[in-house]
This record gives sequence, C-alpha cells and structure tokens, in this order.
Amino acid sequence: MMTKKLSIQRYLPEQGNAPYWQDFDVPFDDSTSILDALNYVKEELDGSLTYRWSCRMAICGSCGVMINNTPKLGCNSFLREYEGPVKIAPLAHFPVEKDLIVDMEPFLDHLAAVQPYLIDDSRLIDDNEEGTQTYKQTPAQMEKYKQFAGCINCGLCYSACPQFGLNPEFLGPAALTLAHRYNLDSRDQGKKQRMAQMSREEGVWSCTFVGFCSAVCPKNVDPAAAVNQGKVESAKDMLIGIFKG
Amino acid sequence: MAKQTSYFPELKRNWWLKHPYFKKYMAREATVLPLVFFLVCLLVGLFSLLQGAESWQGWLRFMQNPLVIAVNALAFIASLFHAWTFFQLFPRVMPLRVGGRALPPNLMVLGQWFGVVVVMILAAWIFMRGL
Repeated sequence: MMTKKLSIQRYLPEQGNAPYWQDFDVPFDDSTSILDALNYVKEELDGSLTYRWSCRMAICGSCGVMINNTPKLGCNSFLREYEGPVKIAPLAHFPVEKDLIVDMEPFLDHLAAVQPYLIDDSRLIDDNEEGTQTYKQTPAQMEKYKQFAGCINCGLCYSACPQFGLNPEFLGPAALTLAHRYNLDSRDQGKKQRMAQMSREEGVWSCTFVGFCSAVCPKNVDPAAAVNQGKVESAKDMLIGIFKG
Repeated sequence: MAKQTSYFPELKRNWWLKHPYFKKYMAREATVLPLVFFLVCLLVGLFSLLQGAESWQGWLRFMQNPLVIAVNALAFIASLFHAWTFFQLFPRVMPLRVGGRALPPNLMVLGQWFGVVVVMILAAWIFMRGL
C-alpha cells in the first residue's frame, strides 16, 4: 500500500503557547479520505491528536479543516487528490482550542444575531388556535430560497473569508445567507428585524465579493450571491426608508 | 469569546499571497489603479481645454508620450478584465426572471458584452465623425 506524508498543525495549550507541525506517514488508497487519514493517525500513531468529526458524509459539517490552505471537509476530501505532502491545519480565522479544534462560538453568535428562523407573530398560539394551522407554500415560493437553505453550518465559508479574518465582528457569509434565506421565505414576517442587522456596518456592506466562500462551500449554497443580493435588498430598504421619511 | 488557553492566529498583511484565489481577487481589485491614472488624464485634459489652445496642445503632447500610452493601454485592458469578472458576478447578484422563468446566467453575461460592443461602436462613430 502506498503512503503519503501528512503534516498536521498541533497545538497543545497545556504544553506552551506556540503551535508546531508534526509529520505522519499514512497508508492510503483511492478511497482514503482526509478524515480516514486523521483517524489512522489517532488510532495507530498518536492517540493525542484531537479533531472533530461525526457523520463521514458531508452532512454534519463538523470535520472542517484547512487542507493546503483551503478550507474543506475532511470527509469529502481524498488523499488521492493531493500530490506531495498534505498540510492540515485548524480552520482559519477562529481561535484554536487544541490541535484541529477551533472555538466556533463567534460563528454561532453571528448566526443567532440574524434570527435564522421563521418569525411570524400572527401565528402565535392564541384563543383562535391559529398556531395549529399549517403553512401553505407553493413550489415557486419555495424555489426562491431553496438554494440558500442547504447550509450545514460547517463554517468553511468563514475560514475562506478574508474580511471575517480581518474583522471578526463581520457577520460573515453563512449568517448573512441565512438572513437572506428567511427574508425570501413567504412564511416569514421578520425581514424588518433582520434588515437592521444586515444593513449595519458589520453586515452585508463589509463584503467585498472575494467569492472564495462560494468556492469552498461543500453544499453549493453560494453564500457570496446571497450576501450580495442582500446588498441590493439593503439599498432598496434604505431608499424606501428615505421616501417614507 | 476566545478563552485564555486558545491560540488566535493573526491575519498578516500578505494574506492574499497565500492562495491563488486571493491573488486573482487582488488582480481584479488592482484594475482600479491604471483606471485612476486614465481618469486623472481625462480631467487634466478637460481642464487644459478650458485654459486655452496652448495648454490643450501641451496636454496632447503629454498624451502622446509612449509611457502614457502604455499605462492607458493597460487601463483599457484592465477595464475589460474587470468587466469580464463583473459580468460573471452580475447574474448571481441580480438573478432576473422573465415570464416566471429564470434567465440563464450565460445569456445575461452575453447581453452585457453586447452592451459593451454597442457603446464601443457608438463611441467610434462619434469619434470618426469628428475627424
């Protein structure tokens, strides 16, 4: 069986402040994913290696790492795709807790800020039992937001975004995409609340359309398109605001 | 927030040299530099036209300098490159629907290039008429 050299960035907070690189030789074939390789290292070579993973099929979004400076899911990247040694580092632009584990808290805070859920006060359960009614939505209405609803919250787009890297207060691709996704949803009434978040300085206008977020998205959500459609919405919202006084 | 034990890698000034994708992005953004030069040339030209014949002749001589021609040629190529990148992004930012159907992105890109050709023909016609 052929082997490939894996260069993994290690960070052990209890042993000092600086991260360092450690090399491992890993046997591989056509079906060996980066995640398989990490599992091999942990099981056979160094049990102290720490990383997140769960589903192995690009659904849970927990095994994101930087592979040769590109954010990817370990489970759907394969050793056969790489010539020479493969460099694996924790997701960029996040605080590193240990080895390949980052603190996703800043990302989750940004997600929560845009209220990524259906807001519809008229559906509050009251005496008329309105809250028990089901929503109706036509396929055409669903088509408007469907592409932006595929996000698995893996955070790769945040590691791809230099604007988030330069300013961690920037709401970032996934949060702004989710905001846009719910604004486009015919069942939702929360656009006004979300526009306040989208239009502030750390909202859509901090995006310069680098576009790398869309290139790395494992679900082809195209967050760059959503964020920039958000700019159009933000501009319309502002103009309407001026005319309304 | 980051805990005391965590390590926060800082984004260095040369971040855009770390990935080919970022280099391409910076090339797109840098197209503005020769374009600024062209715009300054244009403004100085208008100003010298107001100043009188002598000033205008001086500006014409300046514009014939090989270096000035080279930078302005670069500005022209840069603007075409920027248009190429921008036209591709446009259908993603403003997806258009005609009669309930989404307009194919390729058609929108083609439409924009058609617009460029029309403007160029119009500009050439106005310019040639004056000769």
